[in-house]
Amino acid sequence: MGEKLTIDSTLRCDVLVIGAGGAGLRAAAHIAEQRPGTKIIALTKVVSPQKSHTTTAQGGMAAVDPKDPEDRPIFHIFDTWKGSDCSADQNVIKKICDMGWEEVVWLERHGMHFSRTEEKRIAKRPFGGHMLNFGETKAFRACYEASRTGKGIMDTVWNESLKYGVAFIGQCIATEILLKDGICIGAVIFRFPEGKFMAILAKATIVATGGNTRMYQVSSNCRGNTGDGLAIALHAGLPVMDLEAVQFHPTGIVGPGILASEALRGEGAILRNKDEEPFMERYAPTAKDLAPRDLISRAIVQEMRQGRGLFHEGHNAPHVWLDLRHLPKEVHEKKIQEVCSFFKRFVGVDPEKDLCPVTPTAHYQMGGIPTNEFGEVQSDTQQAIVPGLFACGELAAASLHGLNRLGTNSLLELITMGKVTGERAVEYLKDAKDPEAPPPEAGHIVFDQFSTYLNAQGKEKYAQIRDTLRNLMMDKVGIFRTEKSLLEAIESLRELKEKAMHITVGMTSLRANQDLWQIWELNNLITVSMVIAQGALARKESRGAHFREDYPTRSNEFNYHTLVFMPEFDKIILGKRPIDTSIFEAKGEHYELFDYIKREY
Amino acid sequence: MSKPYTITLAINRYDPDTKLSWIQAYQVEASGILRFVDVLRKINDEQDPTLAWASSCEHAQCGSCGIIVNGKPLLACELLVREAVQQFNTHTFRLRPLTIAPVLRDLVVDLEKAYDRVHEAKPYLIKPAPPCPEGDEYRISPETLEVYVEATQCINCFCCATACISSHHHFLGPNATMANIVRLMDPRETAKDERMDILCSEDGVYRCHTSKSCSFVCPKDIDVSHFLALGKEGRF
Repeated sequence: MGEKLTIDSTLRCDVLVIGAGGAGLRAAAHIAEQRPGTKIIALTKVVSPQKSHTTTAQGGMAAVDPKDPEDRPIFHIFDTWKGSDCSADQNVIKKICDMGWEEVVWLERHGMHFSRTEEKRIAKRPFGGHMLNFGETKAFRACYEASRTGKGIMDTVWNESLKYGVAFIGQCIATEILLKDGICIGAVIFRFPEGKFMAILAKATIVATGGNTRMYQVSSNCRGNTGDGLAIALHAGLPVMDLEAVQFHPTGIVGPGILASEALRGEGAILRNKDEEPFMERYAPTAKDLAPRDLISRAIVQEMRQGRGLFHEGHNAPHVWLDLRHLPKEVHEKKIQEVCSFFKRFVGVDPEKDLCPVTPTAHYQMGGIPTNEFGEVQSDTQQAIVPGLFACGELAAASLHGLNRLGTNSLLELITMGKVTGERAVEYLKDAKDPEAPPPEAGHIVFDQFSTYLNAQGKEKYAQIRDTLRNLMMDKVGIFRTEKSLLEAIESLRELKEKAMHITVGMTSLRANQDLWQIWELNNLITVSMVIAQGALARKESRGAHFREDYPTRSNEFNYHTLVFMPEFDKIILGKRPIDTSIFEAKGEHYELFDYIKREY
Repeated sequence: MSKPYTITLAINRYDPDTKLSWIQAYQVEASGILRFVDVLRKINDEQDPTLAWASSCEHAQCGSCGIIVNGKPLLACELLVREAVQQFNTHTFRLRPLTIAPVLRDLVVDLEKAYDRVHEAKPYLIKPAPPCPEGDEYRISPETLEVYVEATQCINCFCCATACISSHHHFLGPNATMANIVRLMDPRETAKDERMDILCSEDGVYRCHTSKSCSFVCPKDIDVSHFLALGKEGRF
């Protein structure tokens, strides 16, 4: 290795946004609107914020119009609490559900192209788990833009940020959160095109790097969703919360793992096993194919385990069938055409004539960096905050979802919490001082990492470790978990971490070195995988998306959020954060529904 | 099931450190249902970890993986091996980077620079109309939306701009021009004069030579040239 690793330049700004997706740029847009002249820098791994993972969201954004004659925010609040399997925070649920509609209106007034009703209003559709009258009947609550709601949202917040002069830096990774005397003063970043390190000093830093499920063999996440934000937070000594709560969407398209939306089953699609039996009837006699995501995912894996799954030779992967053949031609042509085109395009089957191969796909991280209801990052079990550091979106856990998320609540969360975080940052900027200089040790974390990768002389292969990790996480820390599987996984993760130190990098140039970049990402994935496995091991119960075969029911003993600190790899410190039950405790109308109720559909 | 194909990819390589360019051929055994992004990953995994290529969502929703295959700009995440064999009637493919921005390495181009053109077109509402008197959202009928909704599906993959015969010099390019036209058609935009200035500028819509190659290559099946034609005619 020829080049010495150094920080080449230092930039200064008022607000640094790490991760320019839906949440990060909603925060940026709010700050730019409310505090003209604020210098904001927004970082993204991709080439433009428009290409963020937010843009792939299909279904909609849940929001109750306060003037709606049928729906009420309290129903939405209840659905979210119940959906979370009583593990979300009630103060956060209430705040977000109450804000939903005004944020939908904000998006629309700033140019989002929502689908429309004949009355020229924003169109709404029903979605799993969203009900009227505390679970009675389905609610029309998901505001949508065709099947590209995420794109509409992403385009809007990107456009607003652009309009107000937010500076975007693309193709970069944040490798370190800079803390000085317990205050966040910015970050160290690495730019892909030039291969240069840069320090960015900021009065306020908002981390919003999104999801992290690329460590699973089948994942609906973007190539770059590798848990970088979580890894740098852990490295900075900060805790992460509830990472064991990984949502598997039951119908990923076999191979690429792309989502085949819940909307298909809404229209009457049926899951079938090898014998073409509609097996959901056995697992959920009433809800059948429209049962919650976690339940269906478990049913599919059970079928596979009992030899009633199939194997896709081209993609070398197990699957079951999704049957759409019986749906009317009109439904195929008008309502589900876009999703069906994925089957045609990516697996070459025609859903009108053929059975479609699907398999559960790792979809969403419910946990994240713990924050309070204002997006301020918490640093310990006493919920002390880190001045100058904020987090929002899928990376953060306030927590709206607890251990299980309802469809369309993620877009709601990233927009509302993005705004709230922006509001808090504006407040914070009033008295915040400019950081003086980067600490002398700034960059050393990434210099050490990169030096290791660039100088490694081993014969380990990146692809082999990546694939081993992805199979390991799928098999042992996936939809079903046991103490045995988790302990085995933890042992294997230790070995993988060691092996990852001995990958021979393809070339040693720093410039546009995809291989080096991916090895850094792989290390983050192993780090986050370890925390997921440790959190899952400690939670000896089944709740929401976390299912332990050796502890198959929910237990009041675990009515708390899991906190995990891992300042160094494998140095695990566990902690707890209480679940906020302020609605129940206030003893207002319907308070009894906000107890630790049973989750039945 | 699907029989494996033996294909050859002849790929443009570029090393930014030495500034050397060359063409490198890789022979790959691949199942017919693999996408070109999978094939590129396979080359990284089995033959050459140094080959650089770009992608993100890998299901045609983000537009990061545009490349030129046998002369046609397309998304590498959408092209299945067996379809490529059929469509181009060959087992040998020439892969080149998009021509719309400087090459960073191999197939990776600096799309950040290409995005400057989109920024120039001001894709946001420059001056939104006052909120509607009934409150809440603007009222827009499905019929009004229907006229321009197709153009809102653009993901700025720059396949059209690469295919366009005029976009390399003084033309903002089909996608950026269309972004401006969408807002001209959007009833919520009031800054129509400013938009007309962008539309009719030196880099504007009249640089378009109506080859319609934009519509031909668009991965989202947007009839881009139709919207450009509306722009030229001033029919918003």
